[in-house]
Amino acid sequence: MEKDEIAPHVKEIARVLNGKVEESKIEEELENYLNVYRVSLDTAKRSVVKNFGGDPNALTRGNRRKVSDVKGGEQNVDLLVRVLTLNPKEVEIKGEKRQLAYGLVADETGSMGYTLWEPQRLLFKPGDVIMLRNAYSKEYNGRVDLNLGNRANVEQMPKDALPQIDAPAGGSYAPGETVKVGELADGMNNVTVSGRIVTVERREINTEDGAKVVFSGILADETGKVQYSAWADYQLKEGELVRISRAYVKGWKGVPKLNFGERAGVVRLKAEDLPEVTSGKPKPRSIEDIERVGGATDALVIGTIVDVKEGSGLIKRCPQCKRVVLKGACRIHGKVEGIWDLRVKAILDDGNSTLAVVMNRTVTETVLGQKLEDCVKRAQEALNPDVVREMVEEKILAKPMQVRGNVLSDEYGLMMIVSEASAVETDLKEAAVAMLAELEGFQ
Amino acid sequence: MMVRELAWRVFAAEFASSKLEIKGEGDKAPSHLITPLGAQVNRLLAVGVLTDIDNIGTEEEPLWRARIQDPTGTFYLSSGQYQPEATAALSKIAPPRFVAVVGKVRTYIPEEGTMYVSIRPEKVQVVDASMRDYWVLETCRSTLRRIEAMEEAAKMEAPSEEALVKLGYPLPLAQGVVKAKGHYGEVDLQRYRNMVIDALKFLLPEQAGPETPMEVSDMPDEIEDEPEESLDKEKVVLELVEKLDKTGKGAQWDEIVSGAAKAGIERDELDEITSSLLDKGLVYEPVLGKMKII
Repeated sequence: MEKDEIAPHVKEIARVLNGKVEESKIEEELENYLNVYRVSLDTAKRSVVKNFGGDPNALTRGNRRKVSDVKGGEQNVDLLVRVLTLNPKEVEIKGEKRQLAYGLVADETGSMGYTLWEPQRLLFKPGDVIMLRNAYSKEYNGRVDLNLGNRANVEQMPKDALPQIDAPAGGSYAPGETVKVGELADGMNNVTVSGRIVTVERREINTEDGAKVVFSGILADETGKVQYSAWADYQLKEGELVRISRAYVKGWKGVPKLNFGERAGVVRLKAEDLPEVTSGKPKPRSIEDIERVGGATDALVIGTIVDVKEGSGLIKRCPQCKRVVLKGACRIHGKVEGIWDLRVKAILDDGNSTLAVVMNRTVTETVLGQKLEDCVKRAQEALNPDVVREMVEEKILAKPMQVRGNVLSDEYGLMMIVSEASAVETDLKEAAVAMLAELEGFQ
Repeated sequence: MMVRELAWRVFAAEFASSKLEIKGEGDKAPSHLITPLGAQVNRLLAVGVLTDIDNIGTEEEPLWRARIQDPTGTFYLSSGQYQPEATAALSKIAPPRFVAVVGKVRTYIPEEGTMYVSIRPEKVQVVDASMRDYWVLETCRSTLRRIEAMEEAAKMEAPSEEALVKLGYPLPLAQGVVKAKGHYGEVDLQRYRNMVIDALKFLLPEQAGPETPMEVSDMPDEIEDEPEESLDKEKVVLELVEKLDKTGKGAQWDEIVSGAAKAGIERDELDEITSSLLDKGLVYEPVLGKMKII
């Protein structure tokens, strides 16, 4: 082993020995073990520390681990963490009273619970950044906890060794299931999800417990978007990448909505942590995928329009309630002078599933390439408002289209409120060549 | 209200090879045609060339019979007064044109083991070549997915819907594949894979060599152009069905057979004639074993 490779290990040994031994001596000794006796680096370091009268358990084993990748049943776990909470506890073991402590520690990847078996020996307090060595982990009910037993070691580190971690107050939690935005479904609890904060908005709302501040907006990853509500101030900023843990999902008309409160964990991520996440236009999602979770926020779907429903085209609405006026009468307000409007109710089908789509006046005008006024004129000339529906059919029926919008669901299935609709542009030849190449592999 | 049946993308060759129909149980439950690759078709989307169209009804009450060609074969369509939108659309189209059809499956079983399928259209829309090409590509993709699902099912000791869904196949396909496996047994998947390859080459004429005319189906044409004689015989059978329908609930099939024999129409020929009549929508089967004039 070369000198510059040895250097960091020499430094570490010197630290464990509290500077009682000169680094040149340590280096000489370590080189001897490594290059003459050719033992492993770990063994060499332990032996050197022992020879100089130090505690070999104070050495870091291997690489520093991250909270998020500690699994149950591991020995010799070394972690750099910030202490979030520390709670003393008295237990009776075999008729003997013992002082313990428990709490929560965290690094930039997440937080986990711990049990401290010797609070008199290992001293730290909330807010400390510490290097934990030789802890062991246990899994119970799907939750991984850390144990600091008689072999464990703690070293105080500078506070800036870890970024500030927004943390829950008290208790410890399982890391929770990590899911993609597109997999979030109504009723999920304790989920971890990562993505980009696309929008954030501060709102004050009145609840039974008085006024509350909620931060809401859109979170996106490569699989989709979701509306979130943060019930605590995590200082969320537009455009930043975050990992949210201990969040839960509630559905509104089938659309999954992400909620997280004071007990959640929010961690800032770097672009390289989430290479797949792109902002801007969503990638297409299959209707099947959306069906699986019951709804979607601002999804892009591709399919063919296989039906244009009655009530599409030129309609009249009640000036008071906006309900559709049929035969000059509103269902609620009776005979009224209706206001002209345009809409489309159609069925989009991708060969695997179907999706009802509803387009408002603006989208319908874009699809038709005509304004409402032009449509009214056409209908009046033809003495029949149905001509506009025929125009709509002419434009979209049997056409492959891509539509974008929120997808709701009820007992009739999925329905999209379309915000944008356009013809599909695919390079058919390219796709055919690719498929053919794959198939001819079978030949 | 029931959840809408999806529109399957199936090539004509696969569609026409279907020999299994599963009737819905209970009121208004939909029936499904199970194709050899496990598509479970109640509704389908077909895009191709409308090659010919005939009105076999009257001027006032048209009954259109049409053929739509895709790269693998022919879809048969019949549309009458109960399909007002499609019938109106068809009356305005002069072949050849690219058309898209959304419709429901209709089957006719002249005898056990023989099944003719056709489409009862809901919507007919004139489209352009690029939309036909899009459909061909989409149908290739869809067909390949079915082939893969069939292969997965073949690996299983006892293919089950749950196991296929677990592999990521949607439920309607998983159900169809299990039913297809049970009915068709070993399906020649390579034949269908070759069909997809041909369809892809159809989209890429420069890849397919110098001569690639649009392939006409090698499937037998169920509906041949009829000579005068067969039209006469159809008339005979039609009259026979009407005459033998004494109760208003339809004529007994065995009586039709014996009646036809007296008129010099053999059993095989009778099957052909009734199938043609059914396809034209002139007669229907109110219950199995009975036939009635529409």
